[in-house]
Amino acid sequence: MKPDALRGHLDALLLATLDGKQLHGYAIIEALQQGSGGALDLPTGTVYPALRRLERAGHVSSDWSTVGGRKRRTYKLTQAGQRALNAERDAWREFTTVIDGVLGGGGKWAQT
Amino acid sequence: MGADVMDVDVVDRYMTELGSRLQGSKKQVRELLTETRDSLADATEAHLDRGLTEREAQERAVEEFGPVREIANEYQAELAVAYGTRTLVWLAIVLPLMHMAWEYGRMLLIGPWRDFGTMPPDWYLFIAKANDLTSGIASGVALVALVLGRVLARKYDTKLLARLGATIALVAVGAVLLGNVAIILATAHFDASRLVQSLPMSIASLVTWIVIVRLGLLARRCLSCATIVA
Repeated sequence: MKPDALRGHLDALLLATLDGKQLHGYAIIEALQQGSGGALDLPTGTVYPALRRLERAGHVSSDWSTVGGRKRRTYKLTQAGQRALNAERDAWREFTTVIDGVLGGGGKWAQT
Repeated sequence: MGADVMDVDVVDRYMTELGSRLQGSKKQVRELLTETRDSLADATEAHLDRGLTEREAQERAVEEFGPVREIANEYQAELAVAYGTRTLVWLAIVLPLMHMAWEYGRMLLIGPWRDFGTMPPDWYLFIAKANDLTSGIASGVALVALVLGRVLARKYDTKLLARLGATIALVAVGAVLLGNVAIILATAHFDASRLVQSLPMSIASLVTWIVIVRLGLLARRCLSCATIVA
């Protein structure tokens, strides 16, 4: 999948990746790639500024801790981040339902 | 031996080039670079486990991380916003504190205006009032900008927010500076002896100026951080 198509959804993808977990940067990148079956083709370096942006918005918090003998910054969702993730999921369901209704010709996805 | 040095240099070269393009708080830059190095080390290890040579693994890790110019731009936008936030926090906190300390000191050491032999004219009191208001407004604007910056963090482009923050900080400090210059010139015109009437108040004025200059330098650096983003 092309980076430009992903950029607008990166925040939501990161929030979803951190749902119920506390992960460091590279673990987030790995989880994103595994979750997409390797289809996410985004420069991994863009994840760090995005995490800072989410932290600025109060949607994630970070702490420095030692993981695997190395000092790392780990991220987790805040309550506001959890609410933002729920809103993103609702918006995505609504979006895909509408688009599927048109592109899919009102097929099976539109009925769910 | 020569090949080993070349292998090590792939990540190091990338880190050096990235670091040379970043400007902002030393702590923030250091933390971003530490995370970057960790990420590249993790990616290299993952590629080594997949059977690549060390050099290939490092090259793949760097390639996946993204072109240094593009990544530096994104990092710099975040650094600029962080620097802007820090400057606005300083403005929001320091300006009211400084104003209160100065007014309290004036009341304690000099007394109210009516205790002077001659009451200052209306134009002088107008300038004094405007100066007080400028400080309060600048602090309030900084506070509102901080709140809006947090609310709008995900809605607006980081580069735009960085430039807005820097501009607000610079205008706020400029207004405070102008207010202070105006009150000094007005005092000199009205009764120059009042400028040096009390040593503690002269020291307080000097401290005020040091703080304003410091805030001005912070705001200028803030703008510099925000404008080097492509």
